[in-house]
Formats: sequence, C-alpha cells, structure tokens
Amino acid sequence: MSIITISNLRKAYGGFPAVDGFSLEIPEGTVFGLLGPNGAGKTTTFKCMLNLARPSGGSILFYGKPLVPETFESIAYVPERSVLYEWMTVNEHVEMTRRAFTSFDPVRARELLAQFNVDPRKRARDLSKGMKTAVMVALAFARNVKIMILDEPTGGLDPVNQRHVLSLMINEAAKGNTVLFSSHQIGQVERAAERIAVMDSGKLILEGLVDDLKGDRKIVEGIFPDIGFTLDGIANDARVARTERTERIVRLLVTGGAEEIAARLSGAGAAGVRVLDLNLEDIFLYAVSPATATADVVAKESST
Amino acid sequence: MPAVLTVDPRSGVPIYLQIIEQVKRSVALGVLQAGEQLPTVKQLAIDLTVNPNTVARAYRDLEREQVIETSPGRGSFVRADGVTQAPKVAAEIGRDALDVALREAKSVGLTRDELRRLFEAAVERWFPTTEEA
Repeated sequence: MSIITISNLRKAYGGFPAVDGFSLEIPEGTVFGLLGPNGAGKTTTFKCMLNLARPSGGSILFYGKPLVPETFESIAYVPERSVLYEWMTVNEHVEMTRRAFTSFDPVRARELLAQFNVDPRKRARDLSKGMKTAVMVALAFARNVKIMILDEPTGGLDPVNQRHVLSLMINEAAKGNTVLFSSHQIGQVERAAERIAVMDSGKLILEGLVDDLKGDRKIVEGIFPDIGFTLDGIANDARVARTERTERIVRLLVTGGAEEIAARLSGAGAAGVRVLDLNLEDIFLYAVSPATATADVVAKESST
Repeated sequence: MPAVLTVDPRSGVPIYLQIIEQVKRSVALGVLQAGEQLPTVKQLAIDLTVNPNTVARAYRDLEREQVIETSPGRGSFVRADGVTQAPKVAAEIGRDALDVALREAKSVGLTRDELRRLFEAAVERWFPTTEEA
C-alpha cells in the first residue's frame, strides 16, 4: 500500500521550475532513498510534502488524503539545514520537543544523543554542523512516528555516526514504519534503501527496487574483429538503453535480458563478450549523465 | 547461527542474492546444520545494516528453493532434510562457478576441444586420481 502519493508535483521559484511534474508512490514500511544531483529538486519536494512550500501544481497525499494536522503529527522531518535555536542548549531542545509532541520519548532522545556523543548541555551555536544534524536526527527518531522524512540525515557526520543513522532507519523499517531520505552518499543508500528514485532537473528519471535495478541493469561488452562491424539490429532492442562504440569495442547498457543480448552479440561476430555488473553509483551516473559513466565499470566482471 | 554472513552493498550483485548464496554455501559446508535456526529477518537486517525487506526477500527465495522453512511465530530453520540438501546445494555452487569459467573461456575464443583438455587437466590438478584410489 502506498503511504505517500506524489502526483505531477510542480514547484517554480520565480519562473524557474525546481520540481517539474514529479510523480512517486512510496509504499508503507519501506526505506526509500531519493537521489539526485545538487539542485535536482529533492529538498523542494520534501518542503512541498510538509507544506513548508506551496506547490505550483499537482498533489501530495498521505494515506490517500491531503496533509492534515493529525497526519502532520505522525511525520518526523529532519531538514537539510539546522533548524535548532542557536541560543538554546540541546537539553532545552529535548524539553521543547517533549512539550510539542505527546508521543515523544525524552529518555530515548537522551540515549540517542549519548550514542552520537553529543553533550546535551551545549548550546546549538557551539555544535559543529555534524553534531547539529545528530541532534535533529536524535529528536526525530525519539518521536515514535509512522513516517520519517530525512533530508541528508548523515550530512557532516563521521562514519561511525553515519552508520548509527542507517541502523536507526533500518530499525524503523523493521517496525513497519516508512522512511524517506535523501543522501549524496550513494553507498549509504545502497545499504539501507530497499527502493530508490533518482531525480534530475525536477523530474523522475529512474525508480525501482535497488536489488532489481542491479539485477536487471548490466553492461554487455564485445569486441569485433574489425572496425566496420554492424550490430544486426541489436541496438534497436527496447532493452538496450544505450550503445557506445569505441573503435572495435561495443558496450551496451541493457535494462534486462543481458544474457540473451550477450548471446546475440556473440552471434553477430563479437569476441570477448562479457556481462558486467553495475553498482548503484554506476546506475546513478548512467541515469543523470548520459555519456560519461562507462570507464568505471570495465573492471567489474559479472559473476552471474 | 554463527556470524558467517557478510554482504558487500557496493557490489553490483543484488544484496538478497548475496545472502542466498552465502546461506546455501553455509548449508553445503555444514556450517549451518539441519534444523538450525536462522536469525530473524529483523535481527539479520540490523546485524548486516541492510533493509529488512531485502532480507525477507532472500528468506522467501530460500524457502521456495526448499533450503529453509519458516514456521510462523517460531522463526526460520534449515530444513530437516537440509543434510540431504547439502550435496544438491554443493552441486549448484559448482555449476555456477563452472558457468562463470566457461563464459570467460568462450569469450576469449576457446573451442570445445581446447576447453575439454583444459578441464581435464584442471580436474587432474585439483582431484588427483591417486588420491581417490
């Protein structure tokens, strides 16, 4: 069941379309990673979801309905930039959050702050960027809510604390809660997210289960005996997303049927036909930068 | 279960396939024995820091392939006939490894006869006949 449904979302700032017809379904109980280059529209999408920005068009539904206060209360949001009050201590933020939300567990919040090695007596202005992120994450995960929306929840954190955040997200999913997060660290998304969407220039360009994307998307490579080879129509196969020819070498990005296409490439006279795996970073780069991502994948040979 | 499972999320091999492969291997090697309990989906997800639905998918496939069985409320176990499964699982692992090797051999243009000679030599090297006799 979809817990969040984004339909044809649009948001323009002064005529510039930050989000340009973006649609997405987020199933309940999943960890969903939103990826995209800087300025792709991820933060704007999050803001529109929480009514912190007014969409120029389209709709965002939670449980099939527009955001109402009861739903808003069941969402914890960690923004990309600190919203802590600089003059207040961390302890005071815990107390303020306790007063604001009935389901908030201050004991859990203090446990999490200790895990992140945050001194709760410090004022926000004396915390580093990473420590501010840690405080917001700790406050959010102590809220006991059904939906977590986390904009770069590991920003500025060291690797140990990054792993803490991933564990917290996985814990939420194990409880049946839903986590939507964005990150520039593709390795983290690859580990924690079950499903991803890639945004670019305000649009959805790729979406799916991480394991299925990896299972389906492969590079099929072959070497022809001379430069004047023809591909016998293989490049026209709907599953061939891209064809790159470099002298006698051809490399096909396929979205499925890699084995079959490899066999056809052999049949067309190619030698050294290989099927290469793509990790999420490769898949991401192919999605957002159509012509540059090939070099990295050559060394990784498929074991399937 | 002993802490034998590890995953490499950076690999291009889907994580659920990595889990399946490792459970099968553990069964084939007797590291996981018949009737032995596997960690819960939640526990393994937390231990590996991977998504619980990914672990659940691996367990579902392992059930379908009759390597493990799950009883509601009790957990997942290596099937009682898991001992008799071990040779089958071992054969699958061997077949997959051969597939990889043969693909590579074919891709560099070896013929059937050349490959047979190489295969026989490799078998002789790894499984010397004097040892079996």
